[in-house]
Amino acid sequence: MKKMLLLSVAVLFGMQAGLAMAANPDTGPGCGLGKLAWGDYKNQKDIAPQVLMATTNGTFGSQTFGISSGTSGCTNDGKVMSEHKATMFAELNFENLSQEMAQGQGEHLASMATLMGVPAQHQGEFFALAQEHYTSLVKAGEASPVAMVKALNATIATHPVLAQAIVK
Amino acid sequence: MAGPLLFLPLRCSLLPFLTTALIILSLAGPVWATEDGSRAYLDELVARAKGLHLAETREWQVLLHYRRNLWGGYMSEQDAPGFFLAPDGKVNPQAELAATLTQFFSEEFVGRSKQPAQCAFVARYSFLKERLAFDPERLRPLVCERFNNWLADFDVEGISLIFPTGFMNNPSSMFGHTFLRIDQKGQTPHTRILASTINFAAELPPDAGIEYPIKGIFGMYPGYFSTIPYYLKVQEYRDIENRDIWEYRLNLTPDQVRRLLMHAWEMGNATFDYYFFGENCSYHILALLDAADPAFRLADQFPYYTIPADSMRAVLAQQGLVRAVVYRPSRLTLVKRKRELLAAEEDRWLRRLVDKPDEARGKAFSAVPQARRVLLLDTASDYLLLRSEGAGAKDNHWRDRNKGILSSRAELKVPSEEMVFTPFVERPDVGHDTRRASVGAGWRNSRAFEEVTFRGAYHDLLDPEPGYTPDAQIEIVNLALRHYHHASQARIERFSLLNMVSLSPMDSLFHAPSWKLGVGMNTVRHRGCELCANGNVTGGAGAAVESHWLGREVWFAFADVEGNYSRAYEERHRIGGGGFIGMLADLTARWKLMATGTYLRYALGEKSDDFRWMVGSRYTLSQNWALRLEYNHRAHDNDVLFSVQGFF
Repeated sequence: MKKMLLLSVAVLFGMQAGLAMAANPDTGPGCGLGKLAWGDYKNQKDIAPQVLMATTNGTFGSQTFGISSGTSGCTNDGKVMSEHKATMFAELNFENLSQEMAQGQGEHLASMATLMGVPAQHQGEFFALAQEHYTSLVKAGEASPVAMVKALNATIATHPVLAQAIVK
Repeated sequence: MAGPLLFLPLRCSLLPFLTTALIILSLAGPVWATEDGSRAYLDELVARAKGLHLAETREWQVLLHYRRNLWGGYMSEQDAPGFFLAPDGKVNPQAELAATLTQFFSEEFVGRSKQPAQCAFVARYSFLKERLAFDPERLRPLVCERFNNWLADFDVEGISLIFPTGFMNNPSSMFGHTFLRIDQKGQTPHTRILASTINFAAELPPDAGIEYPIKGIFGMYPGYFSTIPYYLKVQEYRDIENRDIWEYRLNLTPDQVRRLLMHAWEMGNATFDYYFFGENCSYHILALLDAADPAFRLADQFPYYTIPADSMRAVLAQQGLVRAVVYRPSRLTLVKRKRELLAAEEDRWLRRLVDKPDEARGKAFSAVPQARRVLLLDTASDYLLLRSEGAGAKDNHWRDRNKGILSSRAELKVPSEEMVFTPFVERPDVGHDTRRASVGAGWRNSRAFEEVTFRGAYHDLLDPEPGYTPDAQIEIVNLALRHYHHASQARIERFSLLNMVSLSPMDSLFHAPSWKLGVGMNTVRHRGCELCANGNVTGGAGAAVESHWLGREVWFAFADVEGNYSRAYEERHRIGGGGFIGMLADLTARWKLMATGTYLRYALGEKSDDFRWMVGSRYTLSQNWALRLEYNHRAHDNDVLFSVQGFF
């Protein structure tokens, strides 16, 4: 019994974080998953230190990514719909993407390039371009992930080689 | 083991259960909407299946998650009613098989996934179709568009088993976690994060509170399978919880991969009561691998409880099942390894940069060679990201500072070098097994004794370190029995229900506290009571630092509180506080030393004090064998023990 009690105390913080998360409603337009997730991250951190942040699972669980669970928001039977893949990725990886844009390389940036249809042999140019336009891209990203993807596309359009190379 | 799941508040959680209930009700009536011809063919199939004993085959047992119970009957571990097509499907493989064949003739929606049986249970259909050679004229195959799209979207090349290492500071992930990653064709190491995963986790209601561990241990939360994108899992484990991730590429044939995915699709109809120790994430991942090839028999090896690292060792024990192992360092490892590359002067720069990002724009910093500026700014950004994960959304100065660092970094207009980092901890599968037993002998106050011990799980500070989180201890159910020659008596010497220690060495950038917690009993010599049973609860918070004089040493100091209960004390108890200090030293790769001292003053109950110290030493013989020599001293009580320990 004592063991249970002690364990309980240990998880209490975690559970409070859960409560805070649960109280965060998805109020905006769009498919909403990303926004919800992002918002929850921030709220969670207000309360729980990172050490009890095992609950990412919780934000996206069997409801959203549940296998053969039908259509919900931007997922179909648990898979992100193709048309939402780039935006969702930009939104859920904003911190890592920003860092890698500033650094001109990285797996998140390479994945973003892939989702946007930049062929492998032109990714180096895409990385340099993202680094060059870092400030405006991040600014767009802070407004919304859709704006960031848009800004990325607009930047690519100004690049003679990349604009031609993109696979739509 | 898996991180807890929480319901989204806006989704109606009852809905799946209601629909399943409705489906069950509709199944209760006869489903003989089929014509006479179909009826005849069905009867024929059922008879042939019976003749071939298909319900008793390993394949059918695996697909329906049946296990033999104590009385020789069958019981499925699966708990959602909609998963079975026969009312007694949970306990009757034969009836379930007949009902499944029956339902294959119907387009009626079944299961939580709301599809015709042929599509909801594609693996069962595939198995029975192959064994009974269905006649497409008499049993019309349906096109399963949802399944086909789902399968095509994976564009599967192979499957990896992923192991995020243990994480002490969250009770639900202390032992690590396992899940599968579905690797897509054309993905490179740089785009691997775009892969899908197959993950099994418990789902907690949003108001889960103090009852969480009890319910978690006794299977009172439902567990589900989901396909969370790998980039989210990487973020969760690598970035937020700072857990290293090990990726094991599996050697599966295309047929095995297909069978695994077909069964995973069926799992969309399934619910398993989540047992933290038994039917947990790792257990169900093994069961899914068994579906890929029923000959693996992986889940069978874990009838009682499944510790993720043990499940990894079971997979590794299958000849040739693992093709390659890839290491993905946590952000914490990344920062520590990058700091090792810095000269002392550069490390000072790093501290200045994370405090005042504007320093990056100063004249002094521009004098640093560009390649080193890149490394410094990148390390600073990693560190600030790491800290900002723990801070709030509003006024997160770590995030703001990171922005400053990153804009300076972007202005350098050169790409960072790609770096490869070696882990601080070896692969989890090379670690010792998690159960431990020992035999030993020694003297207590010049009385000779023999001792045997058993520990249910998992690792203590002196156990061989490969594969385990360094400086961390979790012991669950640890029992020591002793036989004293002198009194010719055998007795329980020590029993510990739970004993945890987490040491986090601090330095100029990292300041995480250390902590410990213990519940158990031991025997004390106190006020004329020679060997008195003594219950104790203890906890402490402290700090640790690391040095590298001989090999690696960790020094620690704690403020402790302790409560004792024993008939040896006046009023049978005493409660107090004090200090605990000690050191751990790796003398060689095999030889480890620990010394600790404790002073406690008890202010409540029997007013008394207690001074004790111990020196322990371990020598590793092999992955699963070690020798120990321990000396414990307490007022007028000296205890020497030499033992041989085996892990299994």
